[in-house]
Amino acid sequence: MGARMMKPGKRSSAAFGLSPGERALGAVNVFLLTIIGLMMVLPFLNTVAKSFSSNNAITTGKVIFTPVDFQLGTYKYVTGQSQFWDSLRVSVLITLLGTAGAMTISCLTAYPLSKTWLYGRKPVILFFVFTMLFSGGMVPNYLLMRSLGLINTLWVLFVPGMLSVYNVILLKNFFEDIPEAIEESAQLDGAGNIRTLISIVLPMSLPALATIGLFYAVGYWDNYMTGLLYITKPDMRPLQTYLYVIVTEAVNVDETLSMDALENIALNTEAIRAATIVLACVPIMCVYPFLQKYFVKGMRVGSVKG
Amino acid sequence: MTQRQLQGRAELSRKTLDSIRESGRRSQRARLRRSYSMYALLLPGILFVLLFSYTPMYGLVIGFKKYNIFAGANPFDAISHSPWVGLDNWTALWRQSKFRQAVTNTFVISALKVMFCFPVGIILAVMINEVRNNVMRRGLQTVMYLPHFLSWVVVGALFMNIMGTTGLVNQAIIALGGEPQKFFMDNRWFRFLLLLTSSWKESGWNTIVYLAAMAGIDPQLYEAARIDRANRLQLIWHVTLPGIASTIVMMLILRLGGIMDAGFSQILVMYNPTVYKSGDIIGTFVYREGLGKLNWSQGTMVGFFNSLINMVLILGGNMLSRRLTQRSIW
Repeated sequence: MGARMMKPGKRSSAAFGLSPGERALGAVNVFLLTIIGLMMVLPFLNTVAKSFSSNNAITTGKVIFTPVDFQLGTYKYVTGQSQFWDSLRVSVLITLLGTAGAMTISCLTAYPLSKTWLYGRKPVILFFVFTMLFSGGMVPNYLLMRSLGLINTLWVLFVPGMLSVYNVILLKNFFEDIPEAIEESAQLDGAGNIRTLISIVLPMSLPALATIGLFYAVGYWDNYMTGLLYITKPDMRPLQTYLYVIVTEAVNVDETLSMDALENIALNTEAIRAATIVLACVPIMCVYPFLQKYFVKGMRVGSVKG
Repeated sequence: MTQRQLQGRAELSRKTLDSIRESGRRSQRARLRRSYSMYALLLPGILFVLLFSYTPMYGLVIGFKKYNIFAGANPFDAISHSPWVGLDNWTALWRQSKFRQAVTNTFVISALKVMFCFPVGIILAVMINEVRNNVMRRGLQTVMYLPHFLSWVVVGALFMNIMGTTGLVNQAIIALGGEPQKFFMDNRWFRFLLLLTSSWKESGWNTIVYLAAMAGIDPQLYEAARIDRANRLQLIWHVTLPGIASTIVMMLILRLGGIMDAGFSQILVMYNPTVYKSGDIIGTFVYREGLGKLNWSQGTMVGFFNSLINMVLILGGNMLSRRLTQRSIW
């Protein structure tokens, strides 16, 4: 069964031949999917191309998917901004600290909840799940952070996000699938709960941990709201918030400046925006291919379980 | 059977029963002991949620007060020092056409997203499932999952780039002899833009669940249908789609829980004052009018309204899901 589930594509064509019409249909399908796939990539290609193109090429609309008048000036400009490096440092820091903290606290929470014999399991799960249904909302959250003195601190950027109930439930579902007998044998050898969790349960759930870790890391890296809400000092903004400011200000610039005025600026604002986007995406692009096989597996097990 | 034998039996069964009870009690005690030590692991999580999720819920009373942030030692202490005003904040809100507009937009945009973005994932999954070449298939999946991992700021910026006034799309429109469009500043286009970008970002990701459900369909069903001379389209219609029907229903119903968030972080990046009419939603309204203008009480009230409807929708959706598909999130 397992082998067949891995390759659903093999199923009917292996047993039965396809008629010419069906083959044509298959070709059309692949063709359409290729176009859709290209649509997913082309906006990115266009942006990359713009980031490497000259101001003149961009304003005259010559840049499509390849750089025209290749130049590195925009990247020099972007990486010459101390703000960019400050924001990058903040983002890297909160992603690393946040993901590590989140994984620790989420595993600690999910493991007990995966035990059906736990006293008061139902009410405790409800206690956690209720926060998914109902929340204080933006204003009380802001006031809480202010009361805790967390405004304009690094803490506010990663600590409050360290427990996502959704991720905890996914993890709990994974842990439930681990045979109790294996854990019991460890407990008979005198291992405590933490020992069992670290030396038995976690090593057996690596795909799940990779999935959830990826979710947290991407969540931290991509989050611009927290920085927007709780950080007012420009040098403490995470990269995405910095990008948000550039992007939304650029809209207003486009609105107010005429094309002639833009042409007088040596560097194109669009190109600067594009280069910042590209740089902000590089880390995700680097990690993504390695984690893909894990999160697909992880998503399937976690979501199919009811 | 003699009297003695019977007594002996009764004695024996009482003994077994006692020992079972005793071991039960022992295992019960063991269970309790193990539960205690498990709660030590749970403690950080419980405290965490108490502080960061339940404390703000107490803050909701601000919505029913005339809140003065400087009334106490800190903003949270100030809550108890502020006077009650009942539903004044609500009536003041409802009188603003901007707020009513935001509520309407929230529902309209969400409904549009369910109608147009939700099916895209299913259609894509069916199409990917029909690809026989595994290399092609994996390549497509890699490309289509990727946008999910980009932030809304990046996605918004990418689309401003290609659909802005001088972007690629407008160049194409001009080349084809059409009028260039200001997609980001036109109330006729803005909602379309929201649907387009959210399909672009999430459709590929949404296929994962459906593809998993399709992988679980019994291959014998396909073979049987094939013997009955079903063609490829008929296989999709009569085997694949019924096979994932319960998953579709579940995803659709769970989608209800997301109705109240019509895409806050998406819209906050893409909108501007010219498209408030078609694009301002509850989330952006609270951000602007509540936090931006320090209208604490009204902002809280909107959040409360939002949360309340959200809870009803999620619970209702979950109940429906349990009844229709015997599956639910918890």
